[in-house]
Amino acid sequence: MAVNKEELKEIIIKDLFLEDITPAEIEDDAPLFGEGLGLDSLDAVELVVIIQKHYKIEIKDMDEGRVAFNSINSLADFIGEKQAS
Amino acid sequence: MESSENNQENSSKKWTSRSIGSSFQHRFFYALIHLGGRRLAYFFLYFIVAYYIIFRPSIRRKSYYYLERRFSDNTFLKMMFRSYRLSLELGKVLIDRAIIGILGYDKFKISFRQRETLRNLVKEGKGVIFLMAHGGCWQTALAALSYLNTRVNMVMRKEDGDVDRHYFEHQSGESPFSTIDPDGYLGGTLEMINVLKNGEVLCMMGDRVFGNLKNNVEAEFLGKKALFPFSAFKVASVTGAPLVVFFTSKQGADKFELDLADVIYVPENMGRSGEKFKPYVNRFVEHLEKYTEAHPFQFFNFYDMWEQL
Repeated sequence: MAVNKEELKEIIIKDLFLEDITPAEIEDDAPLFGEGLGLDSLDAVELVVIIQKHYKIEIKDMDEGRVAFNSINSLADFIGEKQAS
Repeated sequence: MESSENNQENSSKKWTSRSIGSSFQHRFFYALIHLGGRRLAYFFLYFIVAYYIIFRPSIRRKSYYYLERRFSDNTFLKMMFRSYRLSLELGKVLIDRAIIGILGYDKFKISFRQRETLRNLVKEGKGVIFLMAHGGCWQTALAALSYLNTRVNMVMRKEDGDVDRHYFEHQSGESPFSTIDPDGYLGGTLEMINVLKNGEVLCMMGDRVFGNLKNNVEAEFLGKKALFPFSAFKVASVTGAPLVVFFTSKQGADKFELDLADVIYVPENMGRSGEKFKPYVNRFVEHLEKYTEAHPFQFFNFYDMWEQL
């Protein structure tokens, strides 16, 4: 099941309290952490809970986190795959 | 919390956990413990610490940052003596730590009045965050938590080349606690969340900053502003886990006391900025000040905490 990336971006912006940024400004394949969107390790704590709250998906360990947290594309793919399984 | 992805995240670390002693000196003390127990090791410690304080002024000066703020009547001689006492207490704590590993945990009497309070917090099922400081013997505290019947996890790094051993490294059995490396992927945050989800104990140090400067906030400590991390409070906010302010102190040659100084629940939706976390950080720092008032020679931060501002 494909995940709506625009909706995912809006959720991230709203729940992470990202200011002065719109969904259109977030590139689908840009890194979420460090350069790119500029999230840091403390945002990761929040992001894990946000994904669980909105999509009922648990990110169980670092291996899953590495796959999911690369970019909006990879996060949407990860959620889609988990929802389909 | 630190991320290996971002070099900037290392920008605020001013301290080192590496021992000043050589590998030989450590092995010497381990041998003394085997041969004559605590008393023999303490006996040599008095002289070795005196050597460092008298002949290694660079070592002595590292204790001055804290002592100058803790005491107002400092003179050169008083500072020398206080530096000696502080370093001696640290040496004793390190010896005690080795004794637990070599001779066993039953060599010490541990007093902990709030055992049931802590047990009830664990029963809430959201995990418990321990916010601690570099005072007393934190490893003694972790060894005393086995009665909780849940896994204990410590966020800690071991510096390259450090020759000092944790107490469990003297034994061949399983470590009594797991470690989470703050240099790991996303600062180990995913592991932290998972251990709390499992209802386990997560221990973090609240008195040293490292990582991105924006993950720290200012708080007045011993009369001057210093930076303190708010990451533990952020994790508490996101997970709903209770955060306990937890200190240990040495009360006698073989006596330790554990103190659950406060239980803090941090509401959710606190935002990204550290500003909203300041009241909680201040609460921790107030407890830390009380700790240094009660145990002036058991706070082991040998660097200038106040320099960063």
